[in-house]
Amino acid sequence: MFDTIVFLLAGGKGERLYPLTKDRAKPAVPFGGNYRIIDFPLSNCINSGLRRIFVLTQYKSISLDRHIRLGWSILSPELGEHVTILPAQQRISDDWYRGTADAVFQNIYTLERERSQYVLILAGDHIYKMDYRPMMEFHAYRNADITVAVMDIPIFVASRFGVVEVDGENRVVSFEEKPTAPKPVPGRSDRCLISMGIYYLDTRTLVKEVIADAKIKESTHDFGRDILPRMVKEGKKVFAYPFQDWQKGEERYWRDVGTIDAYFEANMDLVAVTPKLDLYDQNWPIRTYQHPLPPAKTVFREPGRCGQILDSLVGNGSIISGATVAHSIISPAVFIHSYARIEDSIVMEGVEIGRNAKIKRTIIDKYVKIPEGFQIGYDLNEDRKRFTVTESGIVVVPRSAVAI
Amino acid sequence: MVDDDATQRLVCQKELEAEGWEVTLASDGLEALEQIRKKKFDLVILDIRMPQMDGLEVLGRTLSASPGLPVILYTAFDCYRDNFLSWAADAYVLKSPDLGELKNKIKTLLEKE
Repeated sequence: MFDTIVFLLAGGKGERLYPLTKDRAKPAVPFGGNYRIIDFPLSNCINSGLRRIFVLTQYKSISLDRHIRLGWSILSPELGEHVTILPAQQRISDDWYRGTADAVFQNIYTLERERSQYVLILAGDHIYKMDYRPMMEFHAYRNADITVAVMDIPIFVASRFGVVEVDGENRVVSFEEKPTAPKPVPGRSDRCLISMGIYYLDTRTLVKEVIADAKIKESTHDFGRDILPRMVKEGKKVFAYPFQDWQKGEERYWRDVGTIDAYFEANMDLVAVTPKLDLYDQNWPIRTYQHPLPPAKTVFREPGRCGQILDSLVGNGSIISGATVAHSIISPAVFIHSYARIEDSIVMEGVEIGRNAKIKRTIIDKYVKIPEGFQIGYDLNEDRKRFTVTESGIVVVPRSAVAI
Repeated sequence: MVDDDATQRLVCQKELEAEGWEVTLASDGLEALEQIRKKKFDLVILDIRMPQMDGLEVLGRTLSASPGLPVILYTAFDCYRDNFLSWAADAYVLKSPDLGELKNKIKTLLEKE
């Protein structure tokens, strides 16, 4: 559509998600049992008919690389369709990517070779379902120089984001990164617009802008901090595409899972009876890579030793053996032994939880073995000695942690 | 002044020095980058087709390492003019026995500084 290639920026360190990002880039962090965060923007691309996708990687990229190779080698290069990984190559710089704009600048060779008319720039670390096509049409209709997708959120939480101020025609008037006094949307003093890190623009404009940015010594080489504010100041036509119509009070799901707490909440959103994020919608399937595993199983139905799963997601190949799982996400190939109790937790792939263990409000990373009778989430002072505990009391057991 | 052709380097050096500019020479891209890292220059004149490292890569690396240093691409070929990386140069001048255009561009860019 519209001769567009996608640059999916997946090089972020995700420092605030540590220790989940100890061994992997943020977009490769597992989500919702079966998925990785990057599956969401990638699925959105495929569902939007965008099939020329470049994933720009940098830090700790092996896990991400493997996931994309295994799960996303589904397009036909013979038809010019592909998901291609572009690792940082230092082709025209001795530095790693210094920011999102620098990441694009350093891949100017790819833009040169592809010569598409447009580029869609996406962040690899948000959970949402979005058809990008209306935004592309909006861009053409408005004859914009650049279009940025925006989400309206309550004004009291907006200070953490890049805040966009628009006029009545959705043209961007100002752009502020993490402002102390965010500007509200026209007509609603309680809402304000934040950038979703999604940009659509003509390739030639993109090239000119990243080159101009590379020439500025003081620049942090970031789209949100440098390029967009400058384009607005120079009077370029910068437009905001509303992901949801705030005038109609529309509510659509978009989460920046930048912190452990936000990540935990977004996972728990899936467990609700009617989840805000519907993964069952066959009109907008979210793809991923899945091992060929047998169906999930529960065993034992004796009094006092009953394998049961309540209000939870359970991945293939998992066995709940005489244990109770409530309000939790159990990923594939997890084994939970008898009399254990898992509550309000996220358990990642390959984890084994011993008999009589009690786990509450905890994220357990892949392949951790929890010993018999071990308790996590019940005494946070004790947990703090071994694991990461967030402000709101979520415990994270990192990969390769021996929980003794 | 970066060029792999010795005659071209000599001609440029003579003519530009006659204008009162101090000229340092390099005969390929790698040597040019080394000089740029070591010494502070006001402007770089860069051939494109060179051994070791071509002028476009030198241009990109110069931009990353010394943002703001003006670069003139000086080549016998017109075909690189619309290469995206060429857009990073401050001027694109075709080689000619008459150095008038090159000198004018140098003057304009140095005045801007």
